Amino acid sequence: MGLNLGLINVFDRPMSRIFGIFERRAFSMDFVLKLLNGGAGTLAAYLAAHVLLCLLPAFFIAGAMAALIPKASITRWLGRNTPAHVSYPAAALAGSLIAVCSCTIVPLFAGIYRKGAGIGPATTFLFFAPAGNILALACTGSILGPEFAIARLLLCLLFGIGIGMLMAMIFRRDDVSHDAETDQLFAGQATLAPAATGVLLSLVGLLLAGTLKLWPLTDAVWTVDVPLAWAQAWQNSLFAWLPFDAARGEEGVSFQGSVLIGLLLLIAACAWRGMENIVEGANHWTWLVLGLTAITLLVAAMRLTPGPGTLAIVITGRVFAVALALWAVWHFARELAADDWRAWLWEAWRFVKQIFVLLIVGVFIVGMLRQIIRPEWIESLAGSNTVQANAVAVGFGVFMYFPTLVEVPVARLFLDLGMHPGPLLAYLMADPELSLQSMLMVAAVIAWTKTSVYVGLVALFSVCAGLLYGAWVDGAGWLPLGTVLALVLAGLIATLWYLKRRELAHAPTRIF
Amino acid sequence: MLTIKILGPGCANCRKLEAVARDAASAAGVQAEFVKVSDMKEIMAYDLISTPGLVINEKLVSSGRIPTLAEVQKWMAV
Repeated sequence: MGLNLGLINVFDRPMSRIFGIFERRAFSMDFVLKLLNGGAGTLAAYLAAHVLLCLLPAFFIAGAMAALIPKASITRWLGRNTPAHVSYPAAALAGSLIAVCSCTIVPLFAGIYRKGAGIGPATTFLFFAPAGNILALACTGSILGPEFAIARLLLCLLFGIGIGMLMAMIFRRDDVSHDAETDQLFAGQATLAPAATGVLLSLVGLLLAGTLKLWPLTDAVWTVDVPLAWAQAWQNSLFAWLPFDAARGEEGVSFQGSVLIGLLLLIAACAWRGMENIVEGANHWTWLVLGLTAITLLVAAMRLTPGPGTLAIVITGRVFAVALALWAVWHFARELAADDWRAWLWEAWRFVKQIFVLLIVGVFIVGMLRQIIRPEWIESLAGSNTVQANAVAVGFGVFMYFPTLVEVPVARLFLDLGMHPGPLLAYLMADPELSLQSMLMVAAVIAWTKTSVYVGLVALFSVCAGLLYGAWVDGAGWLPLGTVLALVLAGLIATLWYLKRRELAHAPTRIF
Repeated sequence: MLTIKILGPGCANCRKLEAVARDAASAAGVQAEFVKVSDMKEIMAYDLISTPGLVINEKLVSSGRIPTLAEVQKWMAV
Protein backbone atom coordinates (compact mmCIF):
# COMPACT_ATOMS: atom_id res chain seq x y z
CA MET A 1 0.00 0.00 0.00
CA GLY A 2 2.98 2.30 0.13
CA LEU A 3 3.78 4.72 -2.61
CA ASN A 4 7.29 4.17 -3.77
CA LEU A 5 8.91 7.30 -5.09
CA GLY A 6 12.16 5.50 -5.75
CA LEU A 7 15.36 7.42 -5.21
CA ILE A 8 13.87 10.86 -4.82
CA ASN A 9 14.21 10.77 -1.06
CA VAL A 10 13.99 14.48 -0.63
CA PHE A 11 10.36 14.34 -1.69
CA ASP A 12 9.73 11.09 0.08
CA ARG A 13 8.65 12.33 3.43
CA PRO A 14 6.35 15.18 2.45
CA MET A 15 4.87 13.20 -0.44
CA SER A 16 4.26 10.13 1.58
CA ARG A 17 2.80 12.31 4.30
CA ILE A 18 0.25 13.73 1.86
CA PHE A 19 -0.49 10.40 0.25
CA GLY A 20 -0.43 8.84 3.66
CA ILE A 21 -3.36 10.97 4.73
CA PHE A 22 -5.35 9.97 1.68
CA GLU A 23 -4.35 6.39 2.11
CA ARG A 24 -5.44 6.31 5.69
CA ARG A 25 -8.77 7.86 4.82
CA ALA A 26 -9.23 5.58 1.83
CA PHE A 27 -8.10 2.65 3.91
CA SER A 28 -10.57 3.26 6.66
CA MET A 29 -13.48 3.94 4.28
CA ASP A 30 -12.61 0.82 2.35
CA PHE A 31 -12.30 -1.08 5.55
CA VAL A 32 -15.66 0.06 6.88
CA LEU A 33 -17.30 -0.79 3.58
CA LYS A 34 -15.63 -4.16 3.62
CA LEU A 35 -16.95 -4.77 7.12
CA LEU A 36 -20.48 -3.76 6.21
CA ASN A 37 -20.36 -5.84 3.08
CA GLY A 38 -19.13 -8.80 5.04
CA GLY A 39 -21.92 -8.40 7.56
CA ALA A 40 -24.61 -7.98 4.92
CA GLY A 41 -23.28 -10.82 2.84
CA THR A 42 -23.22 -13.27 5.70
CA LEU A 43 -26.67 -12.19 6.79
CA ALA A 44 -28.13 -12.50 3.30
CA ALA A 45 -26.59 -15.91 2.82
CA TYR A 46 -27.86 -16.92 6.22
CA LEU A 47 -31.42 -16.08 5.23
CA ALA A 48 -31.13 -18.30 2.21
CA ALA A 49 -33.32 -21.25 1.60
CA HIS A 50 -31.91 -23.98 3.76
CA VAL A 51 -31.78 -21.94 6.90
CA LEU A 52 -35.32 -20.64 6.49
CA LEU A 53 -36.67 -24.14 5.99
CA CYS A 54 -35.16 -24.97 9.33
CA LEU A 55 -35.74 -21.80 11.28
CA LEU A 56 -39.35 -20.94 10.38
CA PRO A 57 -40.84 -24.32 11.34
CA ALA A 58 -38.62 -24.39 14.41
CA PHE A 59 -40.23 -21.24 15.83
CA PHE A 60 -43.65 -22.78 15.43
CA ILE A 61 -42.43 -26.00 17.01
CA ALA A 62 -41.00 -24.12 19.97
CA GLY A 63 -44.28 -22.26 20.34
CA ALA A 64 -46.26 -25.49 20.19
CA MET A 65 -44.04 -27.07 22.81
CA ALA A 66 -44.36 -24.15 25.15
CA ALA A 67 -48.11 -23.83 24.72
CA LEU A 68 -49.46 -27.30 24.05
CA ILE A 69 -47.43 -29.71 26.13
CA PRO A 70 -48.80 -29.57 29.66
CA LYS A 71 -45.88 -29.12 32.00
CA ALA A 72 -47.34 -31.42 34.60
CA SER A 73 -47.47 -34.34 32.20
CA ILE A 74 -43.71 -34.75 32.05
CA THR A 75 -42.61 -33.18 35.29
CA ARG A 76 -44.65 -35.62 37.32
CA TRP A 77 -41.98 -38.18 36.54
CA LEU A 78 -39.25 -36.10 38.13
CA GLY A 79 -40.08 -36.69 41.76
CA ARG A 80 -37.35 -37.93 44.04
CA ASN A 81 -39.00 -41.25 44.61
CA THR A 82 -39.24 -42.05 40.95
CA PRO A 83 -36.59 -44.63 40.05
CA ALA A 84 -33.55 -43.08 38.46
CA HIS A 85 -33.96 -44.91 35.18
CA VAL A 86 -37.25 -43.09 34.69
CA SER A 87 -36.57 -39.69 36.20
CA TYR A 88 -33.31 -38.91 34.37
CA PRO A 89 -34.55 -39.72 30.87
CA ALA A 90 -37.78 -37.91 31.69
CA ALA A 91 -35.77 -34.87 32.76
CA ALA A 92 -33.88 -34.92 29.47
CA LEU A 93 -37.11 -35.35 27.53
CA ALA A 94 -38.64 -32.45 29.40
CA GLY A 95 -35.59 -30.36 28.64
CA SER A 96 -35.73 -31.09 24.93
CA LEU A 97 -39.44 -30.57 24.55
CA ILE A 98 -40.49 -27.90 26.93
CA ALA A 99 -38.33 -24.86 26.77
CA VAL A 100 -35.87 -22.96 24.71
CA CYS A 101 -34.71 -19.85 26.49
CA SER A 102 -33.35 -19.43 29.97
CA CYS A 103 -36.19 -17.19 31.03
CA THR A 104 -38.49 -20.19 30.77
CA ILE A 105 -36.00 -22.86 31.74
CA VAL A 106 -34.85 -21.44 35.05
CA PRO A 107 -38.34 -20.77 36.46
CA LEU A 108 -39.30 -24.28 35.42
CA PHE A 109 -36.21 -25.62 37.14
CA ALA A 110 -37.20 -23.68 40.23
CA GLY A 111 -40.73 -25.03 40.01
CA ILE A 112 -39.83 -28.66 39.66
CA TYR A 113 -37.10 -28.50 42.29
CA ARG A 114 -39.46 -26.92 44.71
CA LYS A 115 -42.16 -29.43 43.98
CA GLY A 116 -39.96 -32.29 45.03
CA ALA A 117 -37.74 -33.21 42.10
CA GLY A 118 -34.37 -34.45 43.25
CA ILE A 119 -31.41 -32.17 42.56
CA GLY A 120 -30.21 -34.78 40.06
CA PRO A 121 -33.10 -34.85 37.58
CA ALA A 122 -33.67 -31.12 38.06
CA THR A 123 -30.04 -30.45 37.10
CA THR A 124 -30.32 -32.73 34.10
CA PHE A 125 -33.30 -30.71 32.98
CA LEU A 126 -31.44 -27.45 33.57
CA PHE A 127 -28.47 -28.68 31.57
CA PHE A 128 -30.24 -30.33 28.71
CA ALA A 129 -32.84 -27.71 27.93
CA PRO A 130 -30.67 -24.89 26.58
CA ALA A 131 -28.40 -27.11 24.54
CA GLY A 132 -30.53 -30.09 23.60
CA ASN A 133 -33.87 -28.55 22.71
CA ILE A 134 -35.24 -29.10 19.26
CA LEU A 135 -34.73 -25.52 18.10
CA ALA A 136 -31.04 -25.57 18.93
CA LEU A 137 -30.56 -28.97 17.34
CA ALA A 138 -32.39 -27.94 14.18
CA CYS A 139 -30.22 -24.85 13.84
CA THR A 140 -27.05 -26.78 14.51
CA GLY A 141 -27.95 -29.41 11.95
CA SER A 142 -28.83 -26.86 9.35
CA ILE A 143 -25.89 -24.52 9.75
CA LEU A 144 -23.10 -26.78 10.94
CA GLY A 145 -24.13 -30.10 9.53
CA PRO A 146 -25.94 -33.18 10.82
CA GLU A 147 -22.84 -34.69 12.47
CA PHE A 148 -22.65 -31.76 14.84
CA ALA A 149 -26.33 -31.96 15.64
CA ILE A 150 -26.19 -35.66 16.40
CA ALA A 151 -23.01 -35.29 18.42
CA ARG A 152 -24.52 -32.38 20.32
CA LEU A 153 -27.65 -34.38 21.07
CA LEU A 154 -25.89 -37.58 22.16
CA LEU A 155 -23.18 -35.95 24.23
CA CYS A 156 -25.58 -33.48 25.86
CA LEU A 157 -27.83 -36.38 26.75
CA LEU A 158 -25.05 -38.52 28.20
CA PHE A 159 -23.34 -35.74 30.05
CA GLY A 160 -26.56 -34.11 31.14
CA ILE A 161 -27.55 -37.30 32.87
CA GLY A 162 -23.99 -37.68 34.16
CA ILE A 163 -23.92 -34.19 35.62
CA GLY A 164 -27.31 -34.71 37.19
CA MET A 165 -26.15 -37.94 38.79
CA LEU A 166 -22.98 -36.33 40.08
CA MET A 167 -24.93 -33.46 41.61
CA ALA A 168 -27.25 -36.00 43.22
CA MET A 169 -24.28 -37.83 44.67
CA ILE A 170 -22.38 -34.81 45.89
CA PHE A 171 -25.39 -33.22 47.51
CA ARG A 172 -27.27 -36.30 48.62
CA ARG A 173 -27.49 -35.21 52.24
CA ASP A 174 -29.01 -31.88 51.24
CA ASP A 175 -31.37 -33.76 49.00
CA VAL A 176 -32.71 -35.84 51.85
CA SER A 177 -33.50 -32.82 54.03
CA HIS A 178 -34.91 -30.95 51.01
CA ASP A 179 -37.16 -33.88 50.31
CA ALA A 180 -38.48 -33.86 53.83
CA GLU A 181 -39.60 -30.27 53.31
CA THR A 182 -41.35 -30.70 49.99
CA ASP A 183 -43.20 -33.91 50.33
CA GLN A 184 -45.83 -33.18 47.73
CA LEU A 185 -46.60 -35.11 44.63
CA PHE A 186 -47.03 -33.26 41.39
CA ALA A 187 -50.61 -32.28 40.89
CA GLY A 188 -52.33 -32.56 37.55
CA GLN A 189 -52.35 -35.59 35.32
CA ALA A 190 -52.94 -33.56 32.18
CA THR A 191 -52.31 -35.42 28.96
CA LEU A 192 -51.60 -34.27 25.46
CA ALA A 193 -54.75 -33.87 23.37
CA PRO A 194 -54.73 -35.80 20.07
CA ALA A 195 -54.99 -32.61 18.03
CA ALA A 196 -51.96 -31.18 19.82
CA THR A 197 -49.98 -34.35 19.18
CA GLY A 198 -50.96 -34.14 15.53
CA VAL A 199 -49.85 -30.53 15.26
CA LEU A 200 -46.50 -31.25 16.89
CA LEU A 201 -45.78 -34.29 14.76
CA SER A 202 -46.78 -32.45 11.58
CA LEU A 203 -44.52 -29.57 12.47
CA VAL A 204 -41.61 -31.92 13.08
CA GLY A 205 -42.48 -33.55 9.76
CA LEU A 206 -42.37 -30.12 8.16
CA LEU A 207 -38.96 -29.51 9.63
CA LEU A 208 -37.65 -32.82 8.38
CA ALA A 209 -39.25 -32.40 4.96
CA GLY A 210 -37.56 -29.05 4.63
CA THR A 211 -34.11 -30.02 5.74
CA LEU A 212 -33.31 -33.65 4.98
CA LYS A 213 -30.97 -34.05 2.05
CA LEU A 214 -32.33 -37.31 0.78
CA TRP A 215 -33.79 -38.62 -2.40
CA PRO A 216 -36.68 -38.23 -3.38
CA LEU A 217 -36.75 -34.82 -1.75
CA THR A 218 -33.87 -33.50 -3.80
CA ASP A 219 -35.18 -34.93 -7.04
CA ALA A 220 -36.46 -32.52 -9.66
CA VAL A 221 -39.94 -33.59 -10.52
CA TRP A 222 -41.00 -30.91 -12.94
CA THR A 223 -39.41 -27.84 -14.41
CA VAL A 224 -41.29 -24.77 -15.55
CA ASP A 225 -39.45 -22.29 -17.74
CA VAL A 226 -40.77 -18.82 -17.26
CA PRO A 227 -39.56 -16.20 -19.72
CA LEU A 228 -38.03 -13.56 -17.50
CA ALA A 229 -35.38 -11.55 -19.26
CA TRP A 230 -33.96 -9.75 -16.26
CA ALA A 231 -33.57 -12.78 -14.03
CA GLN A 232 -30.01 -13.66 -14.93
CA ALA A 233 -28.85 -10.05 -15.01
CA TRP A 234 -30.30 -9.58 -11.53
CA GLN A 235 -28.50 -12.65 -10.21
CA ASN A 236 -25.23 -11.54 -11.78
CA SER A 237 -25.46 -8.16 -10.15
CA LEU A 238 -26.23 -9.83 -6.82
CA PHE A 239 -23.12 -11.94 -7.14
CA ALA A 240 -21.11 -8.89 -8.04
CA TRP A 241 -22.37 -6.99 -5.05
CA LEU A 242 -21.88 -9.80 -2.55
CA PRO A 243 -18.95 -11.83 -3.75
CA PHE A 244 -19.24 -15.51 -3.62
CA ASP A 245 -16.32 -17.11 -1.87
CA ALA A 246 -16.93 -20.72 -0.99
CA ALA A 247 -13.43 -21.16 0.40
CA ARG A 248 -14.10 -18.57 3.06
CA GLY A 249 -17.59 -19.87 3.67
CA GLU A 250 -19.38 -16.94 2.07
CA GLU A 251 -22.32 -18.19 0.11
CA GLY A 252 -23.56 -15.19 -1.72
CA VAL A 253 -27.18 -14.42 -2.56
CA SER A 254 -28.89 -15.94 -5.53
CA PHE A 255 -32.07 -14.91 -7.30
CA GLN A 256 -33.99 -17.29 -5.07
CA GLY A 257 -32.31 -15.84 -2.01
CA SER A 258 -33.44 -12.35 -2.92
CA VAL A 259 -37.02 -13.54 -3.47
CA LEU A 260 -37.00 -15.16 -0.05
CA ILE A 261 -35.61 -12.06 1.58
CA GLY A 262 -38.34 -10.04 -0.08
CA LEU A 263 -40.98 -12.41 1.30
CA LEU A 264 -39.43 -12.19 4.76
CA LEU A 265 -39.60 -8.41 4.65
CA LEU A 266 -43.28 -8.64 3.71
CA ILE A 267 -43.90 -10.96 6.63
CA ALA A 268 -42.04 -8.60 8.94
CA ALA A 269 -44.25 -5.74 7.80
CA CYS A 270 -47.46 -7.58 8.67
CA ALA A 271 -46.33 -9.63 11.62
CA TRP A 272 -46.78 -7.18 14.44
CA ARG A 273 -50.35 -6.37 13.57
CA GLY A 274 -51.24 -9.96 13.01
CA MET A 275 -49.60 -11.53 15.99
CA GLU A 276 -49.21 -9.12 18.85
CA ASN A 277 -52.78 -9.50 20.08
CA ILE A 278 -53.29 -13.07 18.98
CA VAL A 279 -54.38 -14.00 22.49
CA GLU A 280 -57.58 -12.09 21.80
CA GLY A 281 -58.09 -13.82 18.47
CA ALA A 282 -56.93 -13.86 14.86
CA ASN A 283 -57.49 -10.98 12.48
CA HIS A 284 -56.94 -10.55 8.73
CA TRP A 285 -53.29 -9.70 9.25
CA THR A 286 -52.81 -13.00 11.08
CA TRP A 287 -54.03 -14.99 8.12
CA LEU A 288 -51.86 -12.88 5.82
CA VAL A 289 -48.78 -13.56 7.90
CA LEU A 290 -49.46 -17.27 8.11
CA GLY A 291 -50.18 -17.47 4.39
CA LEU A 292 -46.97 -15.64 3.54
CA THR A 293 -45.03 -17.98 5.81
CA ALA A 294 -46.42 -20.99 3.99
CA ILE A 295 -45.56 -19.45 0.63
CA THR A 296 -42.04 -18.69 1.84
CA LEU A 297 -41.53 -22.28 2.84
CA LEU A 298 -42.78 -23.52 -0.52
CA VAL A 299 -40.57 -21.12 -2.44
CA ALA A 300 -37.61 -22.15 -0.31
CA ALA A 301 -38.28 -25.75 -1.24
CA MET A 302 -38.13 -25.03 -4.96
CA ARG A 303 -35.05 -24.24 -6.99
CA LEU A 304 -35.07 -21.04 -8.96
CA THR A 305 -32.33 -21.01 -11.54
CA PRO A 306 -32.02 -18.07 -13.93
CA GLY A 307 -30.94 -18.89 -17.47
CA PRO A 308 -30.46 -16.71 -20.55
CA GLY A 309 -33.74 -14.87 -20.86
CA THR A 310 -35.66 -17.30 -18.67
CA LEU A 311 -36.15 -18.40 -15.12
CA ALA A 312 -36.28 -22.12 -14.54
CA ILE A 313 -38.57 -22.99 -11.65
CA VAL A 314 -37.70 -26.48 -10.54
CA ILE A 315 -40.39 -28.20 -8.51
CA THR A 316 -38.54 -30.75 -6.41
CA GLY A 317 -39.87 -33.61 -4.35
CA ARG A 318 -39.29 -31.38 -1.37
CA VAL A 319 -42.01 -28.98 -2.54
CA PHE A 320 -44.57 -31.76 -2.37
CA ALA A 321 -43.31 -32.96 1.00
CA VAL A 322 -43.45 -29.45 2.45
CA ALA A 323 -46.91 -28.89 0.99
CA LEU A 324 -48.11 -32.15 2.50
CA ALA A 325 -46.66 -31.29 5.90
CA LEU A 326 -48.24 -27.82 5.76
CA TRP A 327 -51.60 -29.37 4.99
CA ALA A 328 -51.18 -31.76 7.92
CA VAL A 329 -50.39 -28.88 10.28
CA TRP A 330 -53.48 -27.02 9.08
CA HIS A 331 -55.63 -30.11 9.43
CA PHE A 332 -54.71 -30.73 13.04
CA ALA A 333 -54.52 -27.08 14.02
CA ARG A 334 -58.16 -26.64 13.07
CA GLU A 335 -59.10 -29.14 15.75
CA LEU A 336 -57.31 -27.33 18.53
CA ALA A 337 -59.34 -25.46 21.11
CA ALA A 338 -59.35 -21.69 20.63
CA ASP A 339 -57.29 -21.12 23.76
CA ASP A 340 -54.74 -23.64 22.59
CA TRP A 341 -54.06 -22.39 19.09
CA ARG A 342 -53.96 -18.80 20.25
CA ALA A 343 -51.48 -19.70 22.99
CA TRP A 344 -49.45 -21.63 20.41
CA LEU A 345 -49.22 -18.73 17.98
CA TRP A 346 -48.53 -16.31 20.82
CA GLU A 347 -45.63 -18.42 22.07
CA ALA A 348 -44.24 -18.76 18.54
CA TRP A 349 -44.50 -15.00 18.08
CA ARG A 350 -42.84 -14.45 21.43
CA PHE A 351 -39.87 -16.53 20.32
CA VAL A 352 -39.67 -14.67 17.05
CA LYS A 353 -39.64 -11.32 18.83
CA GLN A 354 -37.08 -12.50 21.27
CA ILE A 355 -34.73 -14.45 19.10
CA PHE A 356 -35.04 -13.28 15.53
CA VAL A 357 -33.82 -9.73 15.94
CA LEU A 358 -30.88 -10.84 18.04
CA LEU A 359 -30.16 -13.56 15.52
CA ILE A 360 -30.09 -11.07 12.64
CA VAL A 361 -27.88 -8.66 14.55
CA GLY A 362 -25.69 -11.51 15.75
CA VAL A 363 -25.20 -12.90 12.27
CA PHE A 364 -24.42 -9.44 10.92
CA ILE A 365 -21.76 -8.92 13.56
CA VAL A 366 -20.37 -12.37 12.88
CA GLY A 367 -20.14 -11.42 9.22
CA MET A 368 -18.19 -8.32 10.14
CA LEU A 369 -15.90 -10.24 12.46
CA ARG A 370 -15.19 -12.67 9.66
CA GLN A 371 -13.40 -9.83 7.85
CA ILE A 372 -11.22 -9.05 10.82
CA ILE A 373 -10.36 -12.31 12.49
CA ARG A 374 -7.43 -14.04 10.90
CA PRO A 375 -7.58 -17.80 10.51
CA GLU A 376 -4.10 -18.05 12.01
CA TRP A 377 -5.29 -16.80 15.38
CA ILE A 378 -8.03 -19.39 15.56
CA GLU A 379 -5.82 -22.15 14.31
CA SER A 380 -3.08 -21.47 16.80
CA LEU A 381 -5.54 -21.38 19.69
CA ALA A 382 -7.92 -24.15 18.73
CA GLY A 383 -6.86 -25.70 15.48
CA SER A 384 -6.29 -29.15 16.86
CA ASN A 385 -7.98 -31.34 19.40
CA THR A 386 -5.97 -30.68 22.54
CA VAL A 387 -7.09 -30.14 26.11
CA GLN A 388 -5.89 -26.56 25.90
CA ALA A 389 -7.90 -25.92 22.75
CA ASN A 390 -11.03 -27.30 24.31
CA ALA A 391 -10.50 -25.34 27.49
CA VAL A 392 -10.07 -22.13 25.51
CA ALA A 393 -13.27 -22.85 23.59
CA VAL A 394 -15.22 -23.46 26.80
CA GLY A 395 -13.75 -20.35 28.39
CA PHE A 396 -14.80 -18.32 25.39
CA GLY A 397 -18.30 -19.77 25.60
CA VAL A 398 -18.55 -18.88 29.26
CA PHE A 399 -17.34 -15.32 29.02
CA MET A 400 -18.90 -14.34 25.72
CA TYR A 401 -22.54 -14.83 26.19
CA PHE A 402 -24.65 -14.98 23.05
CA PRO A 403 -28.43 -15.12 23.06
CA THR A 404 -30.12 -18.42 22.34
CA LEU A 405 -29.27 -19.75 18.89
CA VAL A 406 -26.74 -17.05 18.04
CA GLU A 407 -23.98 -19.35 19.24
CA VAL A 408 -24.57 -21.45 16.12
CA PRO A 409 -23.61 -18.82 13.49
CA VAL A 410 -20.68 -17.88 15.73
CA ALA A 411 -19.63 -21.51 15.71
CA ARG A 412 -19.94 -21.54 11.92
CA LEU A 413 -17.58 -18.56 11.77
CA PHE A 414 -14.99 -20.35 13.85
CA LEU A 415 -15.35 -23.53 11.86
CA ASP A 416 -14.75 -21.67 8.62
CA LEU A 417 -11.72 -19.99 10.14
CA GLY A 418 -10.12 -23.26 11.06
CA MET A 419 -11.28 -24.29 14.50
CA HIS A 420 -11.18 -28.00 15.03
CA PRO A 421 -14.62 -29.65 15.42
CA GLY A 422 -13.69 -30.93 18.88
CA PRO A 423 -13.21 -27.57 20.59
CA LEU A 424 -16.14 -26.29 18.55
CA LEU A 425 -18.47 -28.82 20.12
CA ALA A 426 -17.07 -27.95 23.54
CA TYR A 427 -17.96 -24.32 22.85
CA LEU A 428 -21.46 -25.27 21.63
CA MET A 429 -22.14 -27.20 24.78
CA ALA A 430 -20.81 -24.64 27.22
CA ASP A 431 -22.15 -21.42 25.71
CA PRO A 432 -25.92 -21.89 26.11
CA GLU A 433 -25.55 -23.22 29.62
CA LEU A 434 -23.53 -20.64 31.38
CA SER A 435 -24.75 -17.09 31.19
CA LEU A 436 -24.32 -14.84 34.18
CA GLN A 437 -27.98 -13.92 34.19
CA SER A 438 -29.27 -17.47 34.30
CA MET A 439 -26.66 -18.46 36.86
CA LEU A 440 -27.87 -15.67 39.12
CA MET A 441 -31.41 -17.01 38.84
CA VAL A 442 -30.25 -20.57 39.47
CA ALA A 443 -28.30 -19.48 42.54
CA ALA A 444 -31.48 -17.95 43.92
CA VAL A 445 -33.01 -21.42 43.75
CA ILE A 446 -30.20 -23.70 44.89
CA ALA A 447 -27.61 -21.39 46.51
CA TRP A 448 -24.10 -20.63 45.31
CA THR A 449 -22.34 -23.78 46.49
CA LYS A 450 -24.43 -26.03 44.32
CA THR A 451 -24.37 -23.54 41.46
CA SER A 452 -20.57 -23.34 41.46
CA VAL A 453 -20.30 -27.12 41.46
CA TYR A 454 -22.74 -27.19 38.55
CA VAL A 455 -20.74 -24.63 36.58
CA GLY A 456 -17.54 -26.53 37.21
CA LEU A 457 -19.10 -29.81 36.09
CA VAL A 458 -20.49 -28.22 32.92
CA ALA A 459 -17.09 -26.81 32.03
CA LEU A 460 -15.37 -30.12 32.73
CA PHE A 461 -17.84 -32.19 30.76
CA SER A 462 -17.85 -29.77 27.85
CA VAL A 463 -14.09 -30.15 27.55
CA CYS A 464 -14.45 -33.93 27.70
CA ALA A 465 -17.21 -33.90 25.09
CA GLY A 466 -15.05 -31.78 22.82
CA LEU A 467 -12.09 -34.10 23.24
CA LEU A 468 -14.23 -37.13 22.49
CA TYR A 469 -15.89 -35.68 19.42
CA GLY A 470 -12.60 -34.30 18.18
CA ALA A 471 -11.00 -37.69 18.57
CA TRP A 472 -13.83 -39.24 16.59
CA VAL A 473 -13.50 -36.68 13.81
CA ASP A 474 -9.76 -37.30 13.74
CA GLY A 475 -10.41 -40.94 13.08
CA ALA A 476 -10.43 -42.69 16.42
CA GLY A 477 -12.63 -45.71 16.08
CA TRP A 478 -16.01 -46.32 17.62
CA LEU A 479 -14.72 -49.09 19.80
CA PRO A 480 -12.18 -47.28 21.98
CA LEU A 481 -14.40 -44.19 22.30
CA GLY A 482 -17.48 -46.22 23.02
CA THR A 483 -15.62 -48.22 25.62
CA VAL A 484 -14.41 -45.08 27.38
CA LEU A 485 -17.90 -43.62 27.48
CA ALA A 486 -19.44 -46.87 28.63
CA LEU A 487 -16.88 -47.24 31.40
CA VAL A 488 -17.45 -43.69 32.64
CA LEU A 489 -21.21 -44.09 32.64
CA ALA A 490 -21.01 -47.49 34.29
CA GLY A 491 -18.75 -46.05 36.98
CA LEU A 492 -21.22 -43.26 37.66
CA ILE A 493 -24.21 -45.56 37.86
CA ALA A 494 -22.37 -48.01 40.08
CA THR A 495 -21.29 -45.29 42.50
CA LEU A 496 -24.75 -43.79 42.68
CA TRP A 497 -26.34 -47.17 43.26
CA TYR A 498 -23.81 -48.03 45.97
CA LEU A 499 -24.35 -44.74 47.74
CA LYS A 500 -28.11 -45.13 47.65
CA ARG A 501 -27.84 -48.65 49.06
CA ARG A 502 -25.69 -47.38 51.91
CA GLU A 503 -28.06 -44.54 52.56
CA LEU A 504 -31.10 -46.81 52.71
CA ALA A 505 -29.27 -49.18 55.01
CA HIS A 506 -28.47 -46.33 57.37
CA ALA A 507 -31.81 -44.61 56.97
CA PRO A 508 -33.11 -45.06 60.53
CA THR A 509 -30.14 -43.16 61.95
CA ARG A 510 -30.50 -40.25 59.57
CA ILE A 511 -33.67 -38.67 60.79
CA PHE A 512 -32.66 -35.12 61.66
CA MET B 1 -58.50 -1.68 45.97
CA LEU B 2 -57.00 -4.76 44.38
CA THR B 3 -53.37 -5.75 44.69
CA ILE B 4 -52.28 -7.37 41.47
CA LYS B 5 -48.94 -9.11 41.29
CA ILE B 6 -47.20 -10.21 38.09
CA LEU B 7 -44.79 -13.06 38.73
CA GLY B 8 -41.92 -13.58 36.37
CA PRO B 9 -38.22 -12.98 35.81
CA GLY B 10 -38.78 -10.27 33.27
CA CYS B 11 -39.39 -11.85 29.90
CA ALA B 12 -41.84 -10.99 27.16
CA ASN B 13 -44.65 -13.08 28.61
CA CYS B 14 -44.55 -11.26 31.92
CA ARG B 15 -44.63 -7.90 30.17
CA LYS B 16 -47.58 -8.99 28.04
CA LEU B 17 -49.41 -10.25 31.10
CA GLU B 18 -48.87 -6.95 32.84
CA ALA B 19 -50.19 -5.10 29.80
CA VAL B 20 -53.29 -7.29 29.66
CA ALA B 21 -53.87 -6.86 33.40
CA ARG B 22 -53.54 -3.09 33.20
CA ASP B 23 -55.90 -2.94 30.22
CA ALA B 24 -58.43 -5.09 32.05
CA ALA B 25 -58.25 -2.92 35.15
CA SER B 26 -58.76 0.33 33.25
CA ALA B 27 -61.51 -1.17 31.06
CA ALA B 28 -63.39 -2.40 34.09
CA GLY B 29 -62.76 0.84 35.94
CA VAL B 30 -61.18 -1.03 38.83
CA GLN B 31 -58.63 0.58 41.14
CA ALA B 32 -55.57 -1.62 41.34
CA GLU B 33 -52.03 -1.54 42.58
CA PHE B 34 -49.59 -3.40 40.33
CA VAL B 35 -46.52 -5.14 41.70
CA LYS B 36 -43.92 -6.91 39.57
CA VAL B 37 -42.27 -9.82 41.35
CA SER B 38 -39.00 -10.89 39.72
CA ASP B 39 -37.20 -12.45 42.66
CA MET B 40 -37.08 -16.20 42.24
CA LYS B 41 -37.59 -16.96 45.92
CA GLU B 42 -40.71 -14.82 46.13
CA ILE B 43 -42.08 -16.31 42.93
CA MET B 44 -41.56 -19.82 44.24
CA ALA B 45 -43.55 -18.94 47.35
CA TYR B 46 -46.69 -18.84 45.21
CA ASP B 47 -46.35 -22.45 44.19
CA LEU B 48 -46.55 -22.20 40.43
CA ILE B 49 -44.72 -24.47 38.06
CA SER B 50 -44.28 -22.07 35.19
CA THR B 51 -44.20 -18.29 34.77
CA PRO B 52 -45.83 -15.89 34.08
CA GLY B 53 -48.14 -15.86 37.05
CA LEU B 54 -50.99 -13.56 37.94
CA VAL B 55 -51.87 -13.04 41.57
CA ILE B 56 -54.92 -10.99 42.59
CA ASN B 57 -55.18 -10.15 46.29
CA GLU B 58 -52.72 -12.94 47.16
CA LYS B 59 -54.62 -15.57 45.21
CA LEU B 60 -52.90 -17.21 42.24
CA VAL B 61 -55.42 -17.05 39.41
CA SER B 62 -53.33 -17.94 36.39
CA SER B 63 -49.96 -19.44 35.69
CA GLY B 64 -48.02 -20.49 32.63
CA ARG B 65 -50.18 -18.66 30.09
CA ILE B 66 -51.50 -15.28 29.01
CA PRO B 67 -55.19 -15.02 29.85
CA THR B 68 -57.56 -12.98 27.73
CA LEU B 69 -58.85 -9.55 28.71
CA ALA B 70 -62.26 -11.05 29.48
CA GLU B 71 -60.82 -13.66 31.83
CA VAL B 72 -58.82 -11.13 33.81
CA GLN B 73 -61.85 -8.88 34.18
CA LYS B 74 -63.83 -11.83 35.47
CA TRP B 75 -61.20 -12.56 38.10
CA MET B 76 -61.08 -8.93 39.13
CA ALA B 77 -64.82 -8.85 39.61
CA VAL B 78 -64.80 -11.77 42.01
